[in-house]
Amino acid sequence: MSIRTYTRLELAESQLTSAIGLFVSGRDRFSVITLAGAADVILSRLVMNKGAENFTQKIAKTESESGGVPVSLGAQGKAINDLLFINQLKHMDERDDGFIDLDREECALAAISKALVNYVALVGDQKDIVLAFKAWAWKNLDRTKYDVDALHGVSPGVQ
Amino acid sequence: MSRVHKYDAAKEQLVTAVEMFLNGRDRSSVITLAGAASGIFDELVRRSGKEAFVDYGRRLARELNGKTPKRSSYVHHVNTKLGVTVHKHLWDGESDTVDLDLETLAADAVLRAMVDYMSLSGEDEPFVKAYLHWRWTNEEDGPGLIERYKQVPQRMKPK
Repeated sequence: MSIRTYTRLELAESQLTSAIGLFVSGRDRFSVITLAGAADVILSRLVMNKGAENFTQKIAKTESESGGVPVSLGAQGKAINDLLFINQLKHMDERDDGFIDLDREECALAAISKALVNYVALVGDQKDIVLAFKAWAWKNLDRTKYDVDALHGVSPGVQ
Repeated sequence: MSRVHKYDAAKEQLVTAVEMFLNGRDRSSVITLAGAASGIFDELVRRSGKEAFVDYGRRLARELNGKTPKRSSYVHHVNTKLGVTVHKHLWDGESDTVDLDLETLAADAVLRAMVDYMSLSGEDEPFVKAYLHWRWTNEEDGPGLIERYKQVPQRMKPK
């Protein structure tokens, strides 16, 4: 047992790596959502600290421009977290009936994708977990449903 | 889209946390998953009429210090002590490094979730037994611990 100094990026990276590992190996989707969600909170702040726009800020900006009504960062972040059931999978309050209706596959995929956008903004797109997830997406995602080519830019085999 | 009860979502996350812990996988992920499971089990134990881990801690604090901590404050305290908070939050102005004993925190975060899980569902399932076995064989002085526990006044034992 020993105390060590960790960067917050290390803590987020470890959790995102686990989330991707669980996801591509077909394991528990709730754990994927929770881990990617936790990693993303840290990554989002680190992107802001770097002076760049994180995923939520970009979406809020787009929504504000298209809707003509300002969308606050807090409201946008909550809306995305609610959509992906990130808080529902780690909290239960007195009034909660305990039931959630979700597409766990879609939520897990989206939670990882969101965190990866922020991770790539911090460390680039050549890290192993980024390449592994892209390779998985290239091989497994339904092209009639997802813009897999946009995710890659080019085929992983061509990179 | 499927309907799931939070009990099942929390259990899946705890099972994943135990598997990762016993297989020597990433400790940060174990802490986050156990913390998420606890956030749900805590409320379910209260609804069952039994004493949740957090309420036992508050009762113990009253016995030792003469004052019962507020529940929300004590939950926050436990989440901070077990490293749960630092793995899912990063506030503006916070340091981007942190000193942690991840091995100990992971073992204890699982223990906290397991205590509440056992209050709800007993200790007969393989993942529960596996964790309890690990805990027993890794305690420095298991038999001594039992002897010391016997000496604890009844009012300070879990209900």
